Amino acid sequence: MTAQSTPDKTQGRRRATPRKIAPTILYHALMLLLAATFLLPFYWMAISAFKNNAEIFSNPVTWWPSPVRWENLTALFNREDFPFVRQFMNSVFYAGMVAIGVCLSCSLAAYSFACLRWRGRNVVFAITICALLMPPIVTFLPVYMGWAQLRLTGTYWPLIAPAFLGDAFFIFMLRQFFLGVPRELMDAARLDGASEFRIWWQIVLPQVRVALIIVALFAIVYTWNEFFAPLIYLSNRDDYPLSVGLFSFRSQRSVEWSLSMMGAFLTALPMVLLFLFTQKLFRQGLSSSGLK
Amino acid sequence: MAEVSLTGVRKVFGTLEVIKGIDLTVQDRELVVFVGPSGCGKSTLLRMIAGLEDVDYGTIRISGKDVTENAPANRGVAMVFQNYALYPHMSAYDNMAYGLRRSGLAAPEVDKRVRETAALLQITDLLPRRPKAMSGGQRQRVAIGRAIVRNPDVFLFDEPLSNLDAGLRVEMRSQIARLHRELQATMIFVTHDQVEAMTLANRIVILNHGRIEQTGTPLDLYVNPANRFVAGFLGSPRMNFFEARVVGQSDHGLDVRVVGPVNGPVRFTVPLTTQVLPTQGLTAGTIVTLGLRPEHIHLGAAPVQVGASIRLYEQLGRDTVLYADADGLKCTHSEGGQGSFTVQLNQPLPVELGQRVQIGFDPALAYVFGVDGTCLSPKRAVLASKTD
Repeated sequence: MTAQSTPDKTQGRRRATPRKIAPTILYHALMLLLAATFLLPFYWMAISAFKNNAEIFSNPVTWWPSPVRWENLTALFNREDFPFVRQFMNSVFYAGMVAIGVCLSCSLAAYSFACLRWRGRNVVFAITICALLMPPIVTFLPVYMGWAQLRLTGTYWPLIAPAFLGDAFFIFMLRQFFLGVPRELMDAARLDGASEFRIWWQIVLPQVRVALIIVALFAIVYTWNEFFAPLIYLSNRDDYPLSVGLFSFRSQRSVEWSLSMMGAFLTALPMVLLFLFTQKLFRQGLSSSGLK
Repeated sequence: MAEVSLTGVRKVFGTLEVIKGIDLTVQDRELVVFVGPSGCGKSTLLRMIAGLEDVDYGTIRISGKDVTENAPANRGVAMVFQNYALYPHMSAYDNMAYGLRRSGLAAPEVDKRVRETAALLQITDLLPRRPKAMSGGQRQRVAIGRAIVRNPDVFLFDEPLSNLDAGLRVEMRSQIARLHRELQATMIFVTHDQVEAMTLANRIVILNHGRIEQTGTPLDLYVNPANRFVAGFLGSPRMNFFEARVVGQSDHGLDVRVVGPVNGPVRFTVPLTTQVLPTQGLTAGTIVTLGLRPEHIHLGAAPVQVGASIRLYEQLGRDTVLYADADGLKCTHSEGGQGSFTVQLNQPLPVELGQRVQIGFDPALAYVFGVDGTCLSPKRAVLASKTD
């Protein structure tokens, strides 16, 4: 029996027939072409960041900066009308707080929907999911008026506080993960005298760590690129996150393409690196939420 | 005194009533096993005692105190789950200590109790390990340790041995029996495995469709089943059932003739107590069900004897189990399905498929079940009963 089930190691890997090679090459060539098409704008932005204006608009097009103008980097950091470091830190704070907010609020809501039994649970969950169907712009004006009444426009409160009140998409995503946690673990904790809050914090959350990281990553990427809300709520340049700061700089200094490109490159770089190192988690998150 | 008392306990899920009025008292230090087929409500009942399911109607008392509305942690119960339910991100030590810490015990006391329990279960070397670094048996020991360390009034076991292999199951079974003796605790054990039930229980509660069919000591239930369900559920191989027509009654019992295609009428008398006969309406022509344990059927000479051909056989080393199609005796239910009789012989026997044999039995050993399934046979003497 054992001999039958063990693969014959002396038998080499089967050679691909010519009939199979041609479609494979064609497939990979097509994929490379598509990838190049998508990467081209990013590549153009990256090389433009290390050129001057003349080189950017030179004809014929140069595909590699010569020389590589590192001084663009220091010039960007020293601009008084584009406080890049401060706005970078604003973006980090904004994205970080939103990530913490959605992880806490959405995991609590998801725990309730997935792990607790209460009357009307399914109806409330359906209503929560319906929120996904409503475009945010519909509620934007009344929400803005509310924050204005509270005299909190011009601060980060309107941008961060809603994250601590849950998000339908992340609640849905986390609920899927929570449903996979064995119910007996929670029962055992209840018998051990743990409160529901403690069960959520000490027993269930450690089982869905990966899910929380995925939610945090999604929230960070989404918030990092968020443009409309900070543009509406914030009015002081020093308070802007990079997305708005870069737009403001470009609209005011439209001729300085190399610095604009450097700003855009440095704004995009953290998210690109984050994605490169965590793409497996992104894929997992998309597949678990049914978006794939 | 950790007595568990259930009065009129019912549970309804939507429109489905899964527990239909349970009245039961589990005595102090008793090991009671809930047994029954899948979906009979045994686990739900256990979870209701633990407080993990709400009680819709009725009362649960533990040690004389009404705990129906109490939180699980305030009932004085500890539970061992089928899939162990150890917290995967904690070591065995932390798993055992978690409940003690929640109850506010000081760290030195927690440490003392965890180590004492670990020593009792011989799992001290497992304490630093996480569940994923343990085998199934080790995890189950830690899960039992987590229950013991809390020093509960009542232990609840929800099919704790189901996930273990056969050898480990026997070992853990004997360990639970040993713990019951040593801890002198009240234990309620849920299983669908009748061997576990028979070997562990002081008393068995047989459940079916959310109702108690019968309670009693293992041997009493085996020897004196209250009805056809209990008779068919307990015993492996299962009891053979076949229909018979009442021919008449006498002082000695019920005169019956077997229903079905008969090569020459098989007619015999099954003893019944004279008190039963007039009340059951067993007039001539009534169809009754007769039950015969496989070990009560023999090869060769017997008071009732019929020819049969062997359809299937199992050589188990010490025993031989035959599935035989009998002439004129057609089973309605048996281990081998409809039709054939199951015969258990406590010796190895060389047989062949299709071989003709004579099978026979003593009618005095047959059980008679009335139209409603109630067992009408007189009580039989039970050889011994478990008292520990």
